[in-house]
Amino acid sequence: MRLLLPAVLLALALWTFAALAALPFADWPALPWHPAQMETGQILLAFGLMPRGAVALLAGGCLGLAGALMQAVLRNPLADPTTLGTASGAQLALVAATIFAPGLLAGGALPVALAGAAAVTLPVLALGARRGFAPVTVTISGMLAGMLCAAVATALTLAQGHYLLSLVIWNGGALTQQDWSGPGHLALALAAGLMLTALLARPLMVLSLGAEGARGLGLGLAPLRLGTILIAVCLSALVSAEVGLVGFVGLAAPAIARSLGARTMRARLLLAPLAGALLLSLADGALLALAAMGGPSLPTGALTGLIGGPLLLWLLPRMAAHVPHRAEAGDRLSRRARRPGLVLAVLAALVLALSALTLFGGRGPDGWGLIAPELRATFLPLRATSILAALSAGALLAGSGALLQRLTANPMAAPEVLGVTGGAALGYAAAIFLFPASGPLALALCTAAGGALALAALSAHAMRADLAPARLLLAGLAIGALASAVLGAIMASDDRRAWVILGWLAGSATNVTPAGAAALAGLALALLAALLASARWLEILPLGPGVGRALGLPMAQARLGLILLAGLATGAATLLVGPVSFVGLMAPQIARSLGLVRALPFVAGTWLIGALLMVLAAFGARTATFPYDLPLGLVATLVGAPWLFLTLMKRTAA
Amino acid sequence: MTLFALNGVTLTVPGRRLIDGLTLEITQGAVTALVGRNGSSKSTLLKLIAGQLRPDAGTIAHAGRPLPDWAPRELARSIAYLPQVTPPAEGMRLAELVALGRYPWRGALGRFRPEDHAAVEGAMDRCGLRPFADRLVDTLSGGERQRGWIAMMLAQGARTLLLDEPTSALDVAHQVEVLGLVQDMCRQTGLSAVIVLHDVNMAARFCDRVVALDAGRLALQGPITELMTPAALARVYGLPMQVQAQGGKGGGRLFALPE
Repeated sequence: MRLLLPAVLLALALWTFAALAALPFADWPALPWHPAQMETGQILLAFGLMPRGAVALLAGGCLGLAGALMQAVLRNPLADPTTLGTASGAQLALVAATIFAPGLLAGGALPVALAGAAAVTLPVLALGARRGFAPVTVTISGMLAGMLCAAVATALTLAQGHYLLSLVIWNGGALTQQDWSGPGHLALALAAGLMLTALLARPLMVLSLGAEGARGLGLGLAPLRLGTILIAVCLSALVSAEVGLVGFVGLAAPAIARSLGARTMRARLLLAPLAGALLLSLADGALLALAAMGGPSLPTGALTGLIGGPLLLWLLPRMAAHVPHRAEAGDRLSRRARRPGLVLAVLAALVLALSALTLFGGRGPDGWGLIAPELRATFLPLRATSILAALSAGALLAGSGALLQRLTANPMAAPEVLGVTGGAALGYAAAIFLFPASGPLALALCTAAGGALALAALSAHAMRADLAPARLLLAGLAIGALASAVLGAIMASDDRRAWVILGWLAGSATNVTPAGAAALAGLALALLAALLASARWLEILPLGPGVGRALGLPMAQARLGLILLAGLATGAATLLVGPVSFVGLMAPQIARSLGLVRALPFVAGTWLIGALLMVLAAFGARTATFPYDLPLGLVATLVGAPWLFLTLMKRTAA
Repeated sequence: MTLFALNGVTLTVPGRRLIDGLTLEITQGAVTALVGRNGSSKSTLLKLIAGQLRPDAGTIAHAGRPLPDWAPRELARSIAYLPQVTPPAEGMRLAELVALGRYPWRGALGRFRPEDHAAVEGAMDRCGLRPFADRLVDTLSGGERQRGWIAMMLAQGARTLLLDEPTSALDVAHQVEVLGLVQDMCRQTGLSAVIVLHDVNMAARFCDRVVALDAGRLALQGPITELMTPAALARVYGLPMQVQAQGGKGGGRLFALPE
């Protein structure tokens, strides 16, 4: 509690500093305000800075309350509108509406944002319900859904970029105001939210005993969960509609409330909005003061995003030990293929056949068909290069996905969540900004260095936490969140070079040189060899560290070595397809549903399926919008992600 | 002959000393029960001698050599350890689980030899699991699954079995079955076993020796009969108990009953 007063004073001081820098106190307008009789500076203060201060407080309060409600009802200290995908859903809905149906926004942004937020949050929670709301699994699926939405939004922005620059800035969470309507809406919502929360406090306290305990005390779980989530989603969607993406305040506020000594549910629900309000005010005040001193004008959401990653890392070791472990584990009853060798042979044949087919076939100026003989000399080498590159990237991503899933015994593990791709993206951005006119080699080196750095940070964290697999995944997500926050800030900085990065983020296989493709193929083969050689380890590792150690497996070395292997493979593939593709998550799931269960057929099958998926994606990217190429990673994501969600929904734990 | 020799072993976690300067010896060729109240660090001690945990201070020697001097696979060929909660073995058949016990002998790449197959088959026969060889582990009943994990320990070919509450999830018939299996193996083939047990009477029936812990310190060690006196039981469990003999004088079995 002693921290609270200084924080209030500091937030006030920062805002006042910015306001005084804009206009000396003597010139401040006196109430009542009449814009017609005021000077420009006074209007800017009264209808810009002042409502902005209020919006920071109110939006922070709304997010804090939403986070506290989500954490209480899911019994998950990692839940918040960012980690459940709610905010990204709202963002995607607004971007899509701006492009395709601007008329929808006439009635205000709120309905659109709300629909998007609900459309993403509900599937994530439905998936969570199938797995006993296990915190790590819910968080991972939520953040994956968020990544998917962000990828689609990126693609839309890329396609219609010139119209959407303001949206890019909005994506970064800008609190800028031009009148008092924003604070009005937020105040109304916060008041309503607080009143409803007061009604929910006692049932939520009972729920903190766990689902069985709560049911035993006669609590209706479904209405309580649905109602609470609905309130939280509404609050979060409203904030999204008013000020854009402001990440991680909902995660931080309840954590701050807890560390300030809010022990009971009621105290936490009350203190969290306060903490959120102060946090956002401090962040916004700091940016305002920076701008007042002549610094760059950055969106506030980028700053809170920067806090988010480290915060997740800090929260992880403090997660309660009562997390239902069984629920985090994989599905138990799997179908087994009677002849895995046959399945593998069919997969290999499919990869070869499809590669050949997409090499010669395709869409030309005269419609679908085989490539004309006179064009072969020109086009076949180009196509072969991009197909080989896509194939290898898919195999690399899928291979590391298989590795990570065996290592962590969690079907949601994937290289996409290891943070390696985020680090690689930062490396790429750094190369673009720091070395103007850098060649492909410099870009590749910087990207690899970024990935390696992220991997090193992850390994360091993992070694300290005895490499507990679930925490490893969340640490990776935290690193990824940090990277995307920095990227968001770069995008919002209104720089031409940002578009280069945006293009790379969507992924493409068309710029690969033959040497690059050959190198990737070599790496993919090396990964396959390593996977086959470590098949016995991969058989034992899902049984946990106790059994592994008892059988004489060198646990620390094996885990570290396999993580490094996965990281390197991911980094190499990321160079090509961009940071998001989901192949690493999808391929292992498909392999399982084909009945490839034991380590050896599982890793080999996953590797093949990854290659297969990427060949298909490359073909789709080349032909869907002929003659223009779509980004490769984007096609892979769009095709795979909905299917993946359905599969995960179907497969319930026994 | 000493199986394990502990000297001044201490293990501390933040805020609590789990094992406090423990010095004791565990005899070879016997079934030793590890007993004590909840939170007396029985499982922790078992993990320490299994090499799963490293002590902060003190030394643990197995067969005369300090544990850190053993290579991981070498140790696994000598000691087999069964954790308290066996993990789900997703999609694995019983025979495949038992075959994992040969990892310490063949490593990540070594080819399976005839003696490996013989060890796997022998272990399954020994535990009466032949009919279940092709069943998925996760579809077996609790008792069958537990025997499956014990078969894996046998296939490991280790001379020492360490079991952490192997009967906690089983009904009384399966408890007798599993513990009887372990006792028979030790009697017939000269294996040694250390078993963490909650049930005093099961310990009295199936074990030869006892090590009792109290808050991470040694409360008692010796033949199992030394535990089965009201005074010793009161010291270990902090509860007054009666001891009755059944089945004639001298060779009768001892039972402990809470008063």
